[in-house]
Amino acid sequence: MAESTASVSIADQTESAGRNRATLARLRREVQLRYIAVVIPLILYLLFFYAYPVIAMLFRSVSEPTWSLTNYSHLVQTNVYVHVMWITVWISIVVTICTLILGYPVAYLISSVTTTKSNLLIVLVLVPFWTSILVRTYAWMVLLGRQGIINELLQSLGIIDQPLRLLNTRFAVYVSMVHILLPFMILPLYSVMRGIDRSVLRAAEGLGARPSAVFRQVMLPLSLPGVAAGCLLVFILSLGFYITPALVGGPKDLMISVLIAQQVDLFNWAFASALAAVLLVGALLIFVIFNRILGVEKIFGEVRS
Amino acid sequence: MDHDEFFLRFLLSQQHVSPHAAAYNRRQFLRRAFQLGIGASALAFLAACGSSDNTPTAATGGSSSGGTSSSGTTSSGSASPAANSATPAPVKLPDVTSIPENLKGKGEVRVVSYGGAFQDAQRKAYFEPFEKLSGIKVIDSEGPDTAKVKAMVDTKNVEWDIGEFDRGDVINLEKKGDYWEEIDYSLVDTANIDKAFQYKYSLDMLPYAQMYAFRTDVFKDAKPSGWADFWDTKKFPGPRTMPGGTGGITPDLESATIASGVALDKVYPIDIDKAYDSLSKVKDDVVKWWDAGAIPAQMLNDKEAVLATAWNGRIAAIQATGAPVEIAWDQGQLLKDAWAVPKGAPNKENAMKFIAFITMAIPQARLSMLIPYGFVNNKSADLIPADLLKTLPTAPDIKSKLLIHDSQWWADNRDQVLEKWNSWILG
Repeated sequence: MAESTASVSIADQTESAGRNRATLARLRREVQLRYIAVVIPLILYLLFFYAYPVIAMLFRSVSEPTWSLTNYSHLVQTNVYVHVMWITVWISIVVTICTLILGYPVAYLISSVTTTKSNLLIVLVLVPFWTSILVRTYAWMVLLGRQGIINELLQSLGIIDQPLRLLNTRFAVYVSMVHILLPFMILPLYSVMRGIDRSVLRAAEGLGARPSAVFRQVMLPLSLPGVAAGCLLVFILSLGFYITPALVGGPKDLMISVLIAQQVDLFNWAFASALAAVLLVGALLIFVIFNRILGVEKIFGEVRS
Repeated sequence: MDHDEFFLRFLLSQQHVSPHAAAYNRRQFLRRAFQLGIGASALAFLAACGSSDNTPTAATGGSSSGGTSSSGTTSSGSASPAANSATPAPVKLPDVTSIPENLKGKGEVRVVSYGGAFQDAQRKAYFEPFEKLSGIKVIDSEGPDTAKVKAMVDTKNVEWDIGEFDRGDVINLEKKGDYWEEIDYSLVDTANIDKAFQYKYSLDMLPYAQMYAFRTDVFKDAKPSGWADFWDTKKFPGPRTMPGGTGGITPDLESATIASGVALDKVYPIDIDKAYDSLSKVKDDVVKWWDAGAIPAQMLNDKEAVLATAWNGRIAAIQATGAPVEIAWDQGQLLKDAWAVPKGAPNKENAMKFIAFITMAIPQARLSMLIPYGFVNNKSADLIPADLLKTLPTAPDIKSKLLIHDSQWWADNRDQVLEKWNSWILG
């Protein structure tokens, strides 16, 4: 009797556990469905307004004027486009490195001070971010011009006789692009650094590491996901820059987006599509490389926390 | 993301390549930007400090509202076409009192033009009297672009009934297929409009000059004149700016050809290689190859360049603000924009009536009196004060110095010229 009761109750328990599991699974599915339902509008939006045009563009690059890769072979065979691609990549690399060098200490500072101070500093980083790129580019034109503030100052101090050519040079492109893109470097860096447990740093110090060793062996490795996310953002945004190099750059500072616009003007839309496709594939390639090295979850997962 | 939206906007704004969009006043622009910055930082400051303190709130309110109102007045002040035109005193515009019955109608016409001070002038010269007399409502927008016309016609979603385009661009799109409506000349005052202005798919309007201008405070004694002087970097030293090959602009191969010693009447057909060789001789002194009409005027104004190839209306605009700049008309080019109607425009009939109206003598004269560009109706000359008439690019004294731009040559050769441009500029 006692045995049978026990066996029944065990069976009951198994049964109810099974029911519970089923209920749990059902609930989980419902929750998942709900999540999916929430993102469906965005997915539809992206499919319709983003994926479709991009696919149409890629399609055009191989389907016009006839089904072939002529647009791409023209691109590869014309030195100009390869040259301009290279200029674009080079400018992007330099800008990424400069923003990293300038942005890292700032992010470190913001993440180490008290909340009140860090909020204020974040605002200081964000204010230029809220100002339009055109305005910021014009501000650089005023600063760097032949009769700009920098030249006038240097002249009045007697350091130079003739105004230096600062505007309409590659230097001006670097300076203004670094300025514009700096927040894109600082913010991911900051959000990763904020998540780093400071006691780890203190522990390293307590165990006798010099400050440089603490930075090299603890801080730097822990902040790497932020470095990767920041570099990725800045580099990919730099690839597509248009306005700034056009306004402050010298004659030879052609970036690929300028040539794409030129081809659109000439109604060579298929060729423009091929150029854009190469830019897109290039950006994706960079993403894949970063993903291989650091893992996409690590880059964006850490940023989110 | 701000960047993408911005990029798109800039792309669109780059299509405004015609000469007469508002000559922007950079100082005014920066003032506004500065105020925006102050406002934004004050707001940010508030956000950071919390809203418990009342003092900064008052300060923000004061600075931003004061800023907006002051920039509002400045912009309306200098954006008014009168300020941009070369005439100091406002002139009384001739009124259009009646129009032929066949130009009357109903409904609307959607017009696209180049915006800014120029479109303000068009509104006053053309749109307002047209609406009043024809009963057709004008809905105007900014940023004509033949690439967009192609997309609109291809997708059968034509949003413009009529637009102002570069004549060469109209021809280029003609070559791509059936993209334009034929102009209905039965409505037009053809008796007073030169045959050379009338084409099957477009009607010319707005002759303007592309010539160079220079700083009078730099070249006080000997004034440069003609392209040989522009090319003479020893006699007239200093940074220069010229039109480049991006942003919908084409390099000024005509000036390069003339500078190499070719007579005005022998410029066309242009020897492209020789023209580029000639351009190479000034290449080192050209600090900027501009890709938007506002740039050369701004660079002259800021002394970023002391000689600049530019469009005459833009130069008039900075002259009006007091910049020490003079136009060297000699050997410049006379160019024209054209009105054209995209294929399948929903209000095609109204568009034709609109063209017929604005090419009448009085509307044409009204525009030239508001902004110093030429006119296509010969009768307009009788309506414009003599002292104003002689400053227009179509004035006999000036026109005789100019080379007539060959849109057809450019339509046939633009691809080749620009393909070469890219490798030339990087070489």
